[in-house]
Amino acid sequence: MGPKRIENKRRKFFQTSAALIGGTLLYSLIKPFEALAQPKEEEDPKIDKADLPLWGMGVDIEKCIGCGKCAEACKIENNVPIEPFYFRTWVEQYTVKKNGEVKIESPNGGIGGLKQSVPDEDIFKSFLVPKLCNHCTKAPCVQACPVGATYISPDGVVLVDETYCIGCSYCIQACPYGARFMNPVTKVADKCTFCYHRITKGLQPACVEACPTDARIFGDLRDKETDLVTFLQENPTEVLKPHLNTHCRVFYNGLSSEVR
Amino acid sequence: MPKIIFRLLFSFVVFVGVFILIQRSLKPDSFGEYGHYRGNSLNDNKMRTPYFKGEAKCAECHEDVYDMKSMDLHDGVRCESCHYPKIDANTDCEVGPPIVKGTIKFCAQCHGINAARLDKGVPQLVLKEHYENQNCIECHNPHAPWDLKE
Ligand code: HEC
Ligand code: HEC
Ligand code: HEC
Repeated sequence: MGPKRIENKRRKFFQTSAALIGGTLLYSLIKPFEALAQPKEEEDPKIDKADLPLWGMGVDIEKCIGCGKCAEACKIENNVPIEPFYFRTWVEQYTVKKNGEVKIESPNGGIGGLKQSVPDEDIFKSFLVPKLCNHCTKAPCVQACPVGATYISPDGVVLVDETYCIGCSYCIQACPYGARFMNPVTKVADKCTFCYHRITKGLQPACVEACPTDARIFGDLRDKETDLVTFLQENPTEVLKPHLNTHCRVFYNGLSSEVR
Repeated sequence: MPKIIFRLLFSFVVFVGVFILIQRSLKPDSFGEYGHYRGNSLNDNKMRTPYFKGEAKCAECHEDVYDMKSMDLHDGVRCESCHYPKIDANTDCEVGPPIVKGTIKFCAQCHGINAARLDKGVPQLVLKEHYENQNCIECHNPHAPWDLKE
């Protein structure tokens, strides 16, 4: 029975392959005509970028008191799991000791208020640095994504397409600022979106809303009337890791060279 | 042309053609509309409901508290920095603000002493020395901190 059985198997294989390929072919041939069957409303997909805002944020280290309200607000607003490893934004305390050592700490992302852990007499200087996604113009995470699930929106915000992300974590490794994480609930990459659902409705991001000292300034970089532009005019600002040429849109005032 | 070359070329062309067709049919609808991503994803990101309502919304029901607060030094501290936002708060004044306890730990988030916070306009206290272990709101009104109760 040997040879015949093989032949049958082969025939089956050819039949199924032919059916599969034929099916896809047929579908792809029909697909262009779908538009004819139910004509879509003609929208102009070309957005003129100059008309859109270009969102950015200023962070004033000289004002931050490390109360952690921003990190807390962010978690509430964006349904980020409350476990202390998942943060879209967090606050770090840098303490430069008199012996030159730099201690960086961020217990629970600063939520609940940062407490001084080094005695006064050892401290050379100490300051607080709120961190978040820097929304790079040349984002390494976007370049790393193999499927185009993370991208820079026309108004300059780096976003994640949650339905399209395959959860490969490449972007998390590519981010030089550690601003991304794997969301344990949705199992896809998660990151700060500048609260895209808020800013497109004319609201401020949740962290800006919650800050008691206005250490975060959010606004449109193209509009020359905003508080953000005034902040940039009046203060010498710097971005994090400028040597990486990521061209960030989060600007820090009062940044020390110890900040990594 | 030798037959074998023809076959090779033919199958190559078929292969490329099939690849292009399959690729086109599996690509999501709005992909590439604005760039190398799904254009509809912009909308997906916009669609969520904001939790934080803003102080103006709080003041609609709690004008008394709002007025009191704007007269004192906690003016710059917005309601929702202390009270967690409530999703249903914008429709119903009967829904009270989320309860917060004005404990020492609560006020210490902003007023506990920390070398990195000095001289930033927010007074820092060694809380143990400041009237010891009494709850802060026994003396201070959380909305108007200089409105002392004694
Ligand atoms: C500094 C933090 C803080 C801020 C800012 C704040 N609250 Fe409160 N709020 C508290 C605390 C603490 C209590 C609990 C007081 C108590 O237990 O007696 C409270 C209680 C309340 C209560 C119930 C008790 C009462 O006094 O009737 C209301 C209503 C209230 N807050 C409204 C507001 C509104 C509206 C705002 C914004 C205008 C606001 N709060 C801003 C800390 C704050
Ligand atoms: C979210 C941070 C935050 C919390 C929580 C908070 N405060 Fe304040 N508080 C501030 C800020 C910011 C100022 C300074 C406002 C200014 O000077 O413009 C301030 C000012 C004060 C002052 C006035 C000090 C002065 O300069 O004369 C008192 C008193 C005070 N707070 C008491 C309290 C008490 C009591 C609580 C707990 C119920 C509390 N605060 C909770 C942020 C906070
Ligand atoms: C027994 C009542 C009482 C309690 C309890 C109390 N305070 Fe005070 N607080 C005062 C009085 C009175 C003053 C003004 C005189 C002074 O500075 O001692 C004051 C001043 C302050 C100031 C301003 C200090 C400055 O340098 O301008 C802050 C901030 C403050 N209190 C926060 C708190 C916090 C936070 C708590 C909770 C740990 C607290 N208070 C508990 C009565 C109290």
